[in-house]
Amino acid sequence: MKRKLAAAIVIAGMMVSVAACGGNDGKDSGKDAGPDSWKGQTLTVWTMDGSAPPQWTKDVQAAFEKKTGAKLKFEIQKWDGIQQKITTALSENNPPDVLEVGNTQTPAYAATGGLADLADLKKETGADWTPSVSQSSVYEGKQYAAPWYFANRVVIYNKKIWAKAGIKDTPKTRDEFFKDLDTIGKKTDAEPLYLPGQNWYFLDGLIIGQGGDLVKKQGDTYVSNLADPKVAAAMDLYKKYASYSKAPKDKDEATPQQATIFAKGKTGAFIGMGWEAGTAIQANKAIEKDLGYFTIPGASADKPEGVFLGGSNLAVAQNSKKQSLAKEFLKIALSDQYEGELAKLNGVIPNKTSLQGNLKGNGAAEAAAPAAAGGGTTPLIPEWAAVENTPNPIKSYMTAVLNGKAPAAAAKDVEGEINKRLAQQN
Amino acid sequence: MSVQTEGTDTAGEPAVRKTRIPGPPRGEDRGSRPPARRGTAAPYLLLLPALLATVVLLGWPLVKNGMLSFQNLNPRQLIQHLTEWNGTDNYQEVLTGSDFWNVVERSVVFTAVNVVLIMVTGTLIGLLLARLGKRMRLLLMIGLVLAWAMPVIAATTVYQWLFAQRFGVVNWVLDKLGWHSMADYNWFGTQTSTFTVIILLLVWGSVPFVAINLYAATTTIPKELYEAASLDGAGAWKSFTSVTFPILRPFLYSTTFLEVIWIFKAFAQIFAINEGGPDHLTETLPIYAFVQGVGNQHFGVGAAISFLTIAVLLVMTSYYLRMVLKQEEDEL
Amino acid sequence: MKRSLFGRLWPNATAVVLFAGFVFPVYWMFATAFKPTGDIISENPVWFPANVTFSHFEKAVHADNFWTLVGNSVTVTLCSVLLSLVIALFAAFALARMRFRGRRGLIVTFMLAQMAPWEVMIIAIYMIVRDNDMLDSLVPLTVFYTMMVLPLTILTLRGYVAAVPKELEESAMVDGCTRVQAFRRVIFPLLAPGLMATSLFGFITAWNEFPLVLILNKDNEKQTLPLWLSQFQTAFGDDWGATMAASSLFALPILILFIFLQRKAVSGLTDGAVKG
Repeated sequence: MKRKLAAAIVIAGMMVSVAACGGNDGKDSGKDAGPDSWKGQTLTVWTMDGSAPPQWTKDVQAAFEKKTGAKLKFEIQKWDGIQQKITTALSENNPPDVLEVGNTQTPAYAATGGLADLADLKKETGADWTPSVSQSSVYEGKQYAAPWYFANRVVIYNKKIWAKAGIKDTPKTRDEFFKDLDTIGKKTDAEPLYLPGQNWYFLDGLIIGQGGDLVKKQGDTYVSNLADPKVAAAMDLYKKYASYSKAPKDKDEATPQQATIFAKGKTGAFIGMGWEAGTAIQANKAIEKDLGYFTIPGASADKPEGVFLGGSNLAVAQNSKKQSLAKEFLKIALSDQYEGELAKLNGVIPNKTSLQGNLKGNGAAEAAAPAAAGGGTTPLIPEWAAVENTPNPIKSYMTAVLNGKAPAAAAKDVEGEINKRLAQQN
Repeated sequence: MSVQTEGTDTAGEPAVRKTRIPGPPRGEDRGSRPPARRGTAAPYLLLLPALLATVVLLGWPLVKNGMLSFQNLNPRQLIQHLTEWNGTDNYQEVLTGSDFWNVVERSVVFTAVNVVLIMVTGTLIGLLLARLGKRMRLLLMIGLVLAWAMPVIAATTVYQWLFAQRFGVVNWVLDKLGWHSMADYNWFGTQTSTFTVIILLLVWGSVPFVAINLYAATTTIPKELYEAASLDGAGAWKSFTSVTFPILRPFLYSTTFLEVIWIFKAFAQIFAINEGGPDHLTETLPIYAFVQGVGNQHFGVGAAISFLTIAVLLVMTSYYLRMVLKQEEDEL
Repeated sequence: MKRSLFGRLWPNATAVVLFAGFVFPVYWMFATAFKPTGDIISENPVWFPANVTFSHFEKAVHADNFWTLVGNSVTVTLCSVLLSLVIALFAAFALARMRFRGRRGLIVTFMLAQMAPWEVMIIAIYMIVRDNDMLDSLVPLTVFYTMMVLPLTILTLRGYVAAVPKELEESAMVDGCTRVQAFRRVIFPLLAPGLMATSLFGFITAWNEFPLVLILNKDNEKQTLPLWLSQFQTAFGDDWGATMAASSLFALPILILFIFLQRKAVSGLTDGAVKG
């Protein structure tokens, strides 16, 4: 019996030790004594899929490592499930030191106390940040993130297919655009437009174009505004666009990545960010020479369609033990040199007007620029981020309308859910 | 080919029992035992690792989960490690909403439909296995084992491909069979069609376990019993109800119990197929708890729902659990 | 018993149809993985991969850290299966062969433990692991997977232990063995097939698990294959060739293991256990 007992005890002991100890493996020590302690440390930076082009990452890494003697590790994150991932990460002792946070979600994270105050960085390097783009990272008067880049959607089209359909010029008005899509549908075997049913950023742009908004204030709280006829008008436009596409009505533009579909060369156009062209080229090198861009046309030639001004901020985790190193990274990454390089490589709007010269010659950026003035964002309130959680009720609304439901009725269906999320206490 | 995973049957006896003749299975006769049990501590020591593991790895999370269910726990509290008790607010929020009861109803119906389908199909296939010749049996067995062994995540991916709107083979077949409206059908667009795919996936993956084990159990039924039955003039159905079924009853009970648990808890299959969509309409309780808790970052409410989930599962299996309690009592 | 031609035919016909039904999804996974993209997205399905290509597999394996993830998955799965078998064997022996106070309660406890809905407890588990500073480690994964399969393993093994005729053990002891020796020389060999069969459940559970590893291990180097597979799908979108190649790679070890262990379990059981 003895041996068996011994074994039992060993196992029991194993379980206990396994459960109770084992901490501290691979954790960095918690000192932050400024520049002297940098050497040998590793700074972890989370960027979102597609945000940071490889060339930029490489250059910034080299500059950072040379200047500080510390190592820099970029980790690319997927959009899917990112909110939960950031929330849990910010609660940890050893979070990513710097992270990219979407501008619509920044107020919510600022309100959680998980982001460090960047007042000194703002003082040092942020004096000439464009106020409108820096706005999303200010919460209760404090700077919780640094504006990184901004972008709005454009039409990315396949020149070869358009030429095949006999179209000479890019459309200047919405009606011309629809007519061109008709022509492509008739004269080629290509799908005129790839637009899945849940590209809600595009819808948001259309709503902004109609002068509407996603939420309205009712007393002290925000509530859904989807029932607004302006939203319904925007949704009707969306439906018209979607009728040119065979894309699934219940998927968004990232599942599957619309650029990879476009890259197959059988799609006339899609509505996307400038950098998505890069994704397409990565999937199929041959598509590069056929790529073209134009501004999403509005009702008349002088006023382009409304757009959602997407963008990202860089924030430092409050729990990071490498605050000074993280700020040093931000100084380098946001310096004129690298901020300019990012704008150039990705065709995104930089955080200072003085750097916009970098966009010259970039087709996507030049197409995006005219619309930016009429752009807008989702409501910059901390309550907003919850609405975007999966399953996003706005997406449900879109799919319902595309499947034939009246916009008003579909709005009614999701209102309760949106209001519940907007009322969610933090 | 006897995988006796049916060890959980009522009396803890495997269905394999050559020497015994029908009659309701009872615990093995424990009267005549060698005087092997010296120290009374021995069984406890043997059970110690298992108990410790259960307490630390299951008990602790359960207690923690229980505590969270009485807290207001959102990203801010999670990030700042704050503990904000809010009494029974979470439970009130869940129980007074209409969502929860809809989901409970859906989960119960979903579980019932699946378990009935699985048990009936599994039993029929198990009996078929017993009738087949050696070669055909091996063939069918291989098919069953492959389906059984297919890891869930791989299986859900394959089903998504089979039922894909574009180029999915299912739509192609339906189209060729003359059902042309199905040529470009989006299976994940409505509640019924999404559930159809999920149920197919679950039944396909679960039937082999029942069929193979049931077949294994039938091999232990002595031939003489059937001979005796046929001498009494019993037909196929009669010999099934008078011989096969009584012997297999404990096995069927325990397997049904396991399937109820597995189906009710099924998470990856439902979540990976369509994340509980469209419009939350295929959310069963575990998915609902996950979407509300983790997805919506309303962690306290999620914890409350998960406790209610456990409660519902307990109610659903209480009949069987009571039976086990009684049986084990008789045994001692 | 005499049967008509029809009586002999229909079971075989049904068996063939059923075989096709059960095998088809598995077959289609492998077939798609080997087909060139043109054959995958064709208006009429290509039933047999005539032009075999390995490019999808190359793409699948090319993912960052693929081999690290394979290593992690294998480690975590093997460790948790072994750990649960050892712990369960002790418990099962006590529950099947010994009489003691609280036995009934324990059996019911393990049955209840079997019901634990792990996916909905992950925040609680996350907070425990986080507060004990054990994130980004394979250890918590291993022990929690062990616990996920432990109850069923105990209950199943209990059946196997009970199935070994007590007389064998007794006669061994009459021959002068101690109880421990009797267990090791007589019972254990007879249990081996049972252990193998039982381990299948552990393998499939641990190999598949993803909600827990998703929330516990953010470090790419500490993740496991299910995460790779699920991210692969979003990354490659409707590239079904690559997705099916990844699924095939993921499923293959378990498929092989099942077929192998199934046969072992059979021969063991029929040759040994029930003979006595």
